[in-house]
Order: sequence, then C-alpha cells, then structure tokens
Amino acid sequence: MLLIKNLKCYYNKIMAIKGVSVSVRKGELISLIGANGSGKSTFLQAICGLLPGWEGEISFDNSSLRGFEPPAIVKKGISMVPEGRLVFSSLSTLDNLKLGAYTMYRKKHHNYVKEDLEMVMNLFPILRDRSDQQAGTLSGGEQQMLAIGRALMARPRLLLLDEPSMGLAPLLVEKIFETLTILKNKGLTILLVEQNARSALKIADRGYVLETGSIVLQGTSSDLLEDVEVKRAYLGRDYGEFYDGRA
Amino acid sequence: MHEINSEEKAQFQLERLQSTLNRAYKNVLFHQNRQNIDGISGGIERFRVESIEDLATFPFMERKHLGNNYPYGLFAVPLKDIVRIHTAPGTTVNPTVSGYTRQDLQLWREMVSTALAASNVSVSDILQINLDPGLANWGRDYKDGAETIGASVIPNTSLSLEKQLMVLKDYKTSVLITTPSSISQLADYILLKENLDPKDLNLKTLILTGEPVDSEFRNLLQQNFHLTTWLHYGLSEVPGPAIAFECREHEGLHVNENHFLPEIVDPETGQPLPEGETGELILTTLTTRAFPLIRFKTGDRARFIKGTCKCRSPFVRIEWFNDRIDNMLNISGVKVNQELVLFQIEQALGFVPANCCFLKKRNGARNYLEVSLSVDDRLFSDEIKVLERLMKTVGNKLQEHIGVPVTIRLKEKKSFENRAGLVV
Repeated sequence: MLLIKNLKCYYNKIMAIKGVSVSVRKGELISLIGANGSGKSTFLQAICGLLPGWEGEISFDNSSLRGFEPPAIVKKGISMVPEGRLVFSSLSTLDNLKLGAYTMYRKKHHNYVKEDLEMVMNLFPILRDRSDQQAGTLSGGEQQMLAIGRALMARPRLLLLDEPSMGLAPLLVEKIFETLTILKNKGLTILLVEQNARSALKIADRGYVLETGSIVLQGTSSDLLEDVEVKRAYLGRDYGEFYDGRA
Repeated sequence: MHEINSEEKAQFQLERLQSTLNRAYKNVLFHQNRQNIDGISGGIERFRVESIEDLATFPFMERKHLGNNYPYGLFAVPLKDIVRIHTAPGTTVNPTVSGYTRQDLQLWREMVSTALAASNVSVSDILQINLDPGLANWGRDYKDGAETIGASVIPNTSLSLEKQLMVLKDYKTSVLITTPSSISQLADYILLKENLDPKDLNLKTLILTGEPVDSEFRNLLQQNFHLTTWLHYGLSEVPGPAIAFECREHEGLHVNENHFLPEIVDPETGQPLPEGETGELILTTLTTRAFPLIRFKTGDRARFIKGTCKCRSPFVRIEWFNDRIDNMLNISGVKVNQELVLFQIEQALGFVPANCCFLKKRNGARNYLEVSLSVDDRLFSDEIKVLERLMKTVGNKLQEHIGVPVTIRLKEKKSFENRAGLVV
C-alpha cells in the first residue's frame, strides 16, 4: 500500500533521512521506533507532503506522492495525527472533528460526516461529553483522542501517527494503543512513529528501528521485542557497553 | 514468503539489505572501512545501496577476512548479546569464529525447519542425524530445526557403520540426514556387507547435505532403498546447513531469500553473470544480527535456474556443481584449504617439502585427506621410528586444524610427476 524507497530528506544541507526504505502493506500496523532526533517526524512529514524537496520514491497504492500538497495527499486517503496533537484550541471539540472531515464536505459526502462523528464518539465516548468544550481546555489524553478522531473523520485508508503517547500518563497511553488495535482490527492500515518502543511494538505486526536517519533493524514486532539491541536502546534494560570485557 | 510477488520480494530484500549494511557500518570497523569511499569533494563518503543491483559494485568478502579478524573482529553486536560461538577451520593461521545472538539462533531454527518441511519432514518422523565431526555445528542446527517441527530427533553422534545401521533399523528411522560420502559408505555396508533388504528399514526420506550429489547416484539410492532424496546447501562460515534446499519438484535448490541474497558472478572478473550462466555463488546475509556476511565468496560453483519453479515459490533456484571455484577440497562436507594445510605442515616441520600432494580418499567408513610429501634431506632419517613419529605429529596437527582425518605419506620426489590431486 505505502512503498518508500531510498527516501532522503534534508534540512538545509544536512541529510536527516539517509536513504530509508519502508513498506506498509494493506491492513498492517507498522511501528517505526527511534530516539529523539533520529528522523522519525521528518519521515512522516515527507509522506504527508509537509517537507518538500525529498529524494527517493514514495508511492501510495502504486501512485507516486511526489509533488502533491498535503490536502491532495489527505484526499488520496492518508491522514496524520501530528506530534503534540495540534488541535485548534479555540474551537470546540465538535468543530475540530468537523474540520477533519473537510475533504468529505468537498466531496459532497455530507452524509458520511454524521456517520463518522458517531463512529468517533463511540470510539472515544469522552469526546461526546466534551463536544461543546473548547479543545484547548481538554486534558492531554483527551486532546490526543481528539487528534486521532479528527484524522479519522477524513476516512483515511492509511493513518500516520507521530508519537501519540508523548506526555501522556501510562493508563492513557494504554487506552490510545488499545484504540489503535481496534482500528487495525477494523482493517485500517496504520504507520505508528513512537519512542515508546514497547507499547508500539506490542500492537504492531512489524517494526523498523531508525537511528540517525538510517534503518538499522527491522523485523516482526515479536522479533524486535526480544532483540537485545532494542531492549538495551529502547526498552530500558542495561546490557553494558560494546565489547564489555567478557572475553 | 510464498504469498508475496516479485515486487514485494525486491522491496523487502532492499529493506533488509540496507539495514544489514547500516548495522555493519555502525558496529564493525572492517565493514565501515569498506563502505567508506572517496567523495566527490575529496572527503570520505558512505557507500549506500539504493537497489539490489548496487550491491554488485561493493567489494567481496573472502574467507581470509574472517581469519584476519580473528576472533571477534567481525561481530556486529556486543559480546554480551552472543549466546553461541562456533569455530570452523579457516584459510589462514586463525580459524573462523562466528557468533550468534538469541535471535540468530531462532532464525536458524526457522530456516532449517523450513527446509525440512519442504522435504516433507513432519511431527510423525523419527529423524537421525549422521554427519562427520567436522560438521558438528550443522548437526546441532538440524537437531534444533527438526525439534521445531516436532519430529523425534536422534542427534548427531559419531557411530560405526554397524551402530548406524542398528539405530536405523531398530529405532525405525524414517528420515536420515547425512552427506553423500557417508551414505555411499553406509549403502555399501547395508547392501554388500550386511546383505540387508532395504525393505526391512523404515527409511523414506534421505536428506543429503555438505556436498553436491550426482543424479545417477541419487537414482541408485532411491531405487535400492525405496526412498526420496533431498539436497540441502549450506555454509560452514555461518553454520547454516539449509541456506538452499530442494522443494517437491527437485528441480534445483531454492535459496532462502528471506535471509540470504544470492549472486552468481564471473570468478575471473567478479561481474554478475546473466541468469543461467555458471559462476561463483556469492551470498549476503539479510537478517543475521551477530555475524553479517556481505558479498561473501563461497567458492562454490553454481548457476541460477531460469523461470519460476512449479512449486510457485518466489525463492530463486540454483544448480550446485561438484567442482569448486577455489582450490579447496570438500571432504564429507568440510572444506579443506590448501594454504592452511601447507601452513600447518610448515608449523609442524619447520619447512614445506619440495612437493606436496593432497587427495580426498576413502577407507571403509571414513573419508580422509591423504597428504603426500616428498622426502628430501631435510625430511629424511635412517631411523624408521623417527619418520613414523614425524608423520604422526604432522597428521595430528593437520587433523586438529582442518577438522578431517588425515593420513601422511612420504614419497620419492619422482613419484609426484603426473600426479592427480592438488600438487604444489
């Protein structure tokens, strides 16, 4: 469904993504894990058309995304939940969700909007209670739910999430990841970018490990969860230094 | 992998290749130096593979590199992550040492079980492993792979022909894993010496590994023993006996491209050869964590078989030929390097005799290496005991380092003229 070959992204002359190849098949939940500054957000921004000037190939359903602006990419069926939620603070929860359905209105699919609002409210019942509340006054977890709900209102076929667990309490993280599993089970294809490797890999089919702009490991999520390198770097277990003197 | 198309296969191979190269670059100085290239602006740039074809411009990795980086120089993970260490005879003064993480062992188990499953091995089989001590690592891998399938495994132990037959018969072995050399000896013993009717055996599957096998011999085995034979290909450097394996069609060996990227190159120029042409098999590991091999020269002669197999597997097929590209001798699956033998002779004697000849030979149950040395003033002694002791010392030293039985013969210089075998 999403095929990325040798993606290179630059900030001025500095190469932030150094020839990354990643594939996401229909119905899969893929986790891209990496530390701060490894290039995870840059990678998503390139897919969404927010970072022009990338090199390589990005294709979605066999058609290249080169040259497409973000609205056109949303129309193609890709929605992103950005890092830090970025909800419209002064608008109500309901209006934020309706804004997510912008492309549906443009396509004259007004009937979908009501249906999708119901779907989102069922997925996150708290948003129904907060529907008239200003989004800026919601808690971090509620804002994250709103951001996901807003992305779903565009009826994406591929959902991209940039660190949805950031700044959330463990219970809320669990709730968010449970929701992603529900969405995956409904057939939605998901590319999840996360620092929280354990939670991300637990729900994923496969995973990629990004380090300073390059993929250094990839495999099934169960394989990566058991990998000592991943454990050492991302799951908080101390395995000592390279060539630790055992010999 | 059987459900993916060629485009998907190319994508995932590229992804795995890139991550292998990135990790090798990050963690192994040897690989880092090889990936550093002179940049346009004069500085050092990193070589990056953007397609599988790009790999063809990358330098080869040879057996000598494994010895030169003895023991842990090519490990791509910290030693604490290593759960198994294997040693194989190398081509230099040092042996080849390879390491495995827990993940690597899991992958090997999966690889071997995939190959065994393709040979119809199932939970209802009793599987006996009979490999020479030089292939002990493979014996362990086969045991693990067969246990993964759930077969009842009789692990590899060194047994006489009599005992092998006893186990085969009494334990009702249905699958036997062995080398063509070993089965040849066992078959002779069963049919000629014991005069046993093969119908008295429960054997239905014979998996041959370590050496190529000719079709005439296979047919003979299949007819006489009423069984099906399957050929597997492996490398001793990354002890994996099932890198390539036959499917039910028996039309070549499928390389497990989930984990290995094969190339066939012209041994003279190093350039990739068109599909169907015979050359040297080059392998790159795609999933190995601890010990990545990048464009490793196997020394094995092979060719890609054109077209898709009737079994519809997307794994490419190779035909594996008996003769080698390099000057190594394959003795019951163990690769014996001529330079290493010469080096050990020099270590034992203090010099290399003017003439040496190496021959693969067989004596009853065992294959062995016959080393003939020309006698000159430096080697000569008028005491037979001294000469015998010398031969024994050299033989033991060689056996210890190359992993196969060795017999030393002392001969007159003139007997080396027009000799067959490797003469130096």
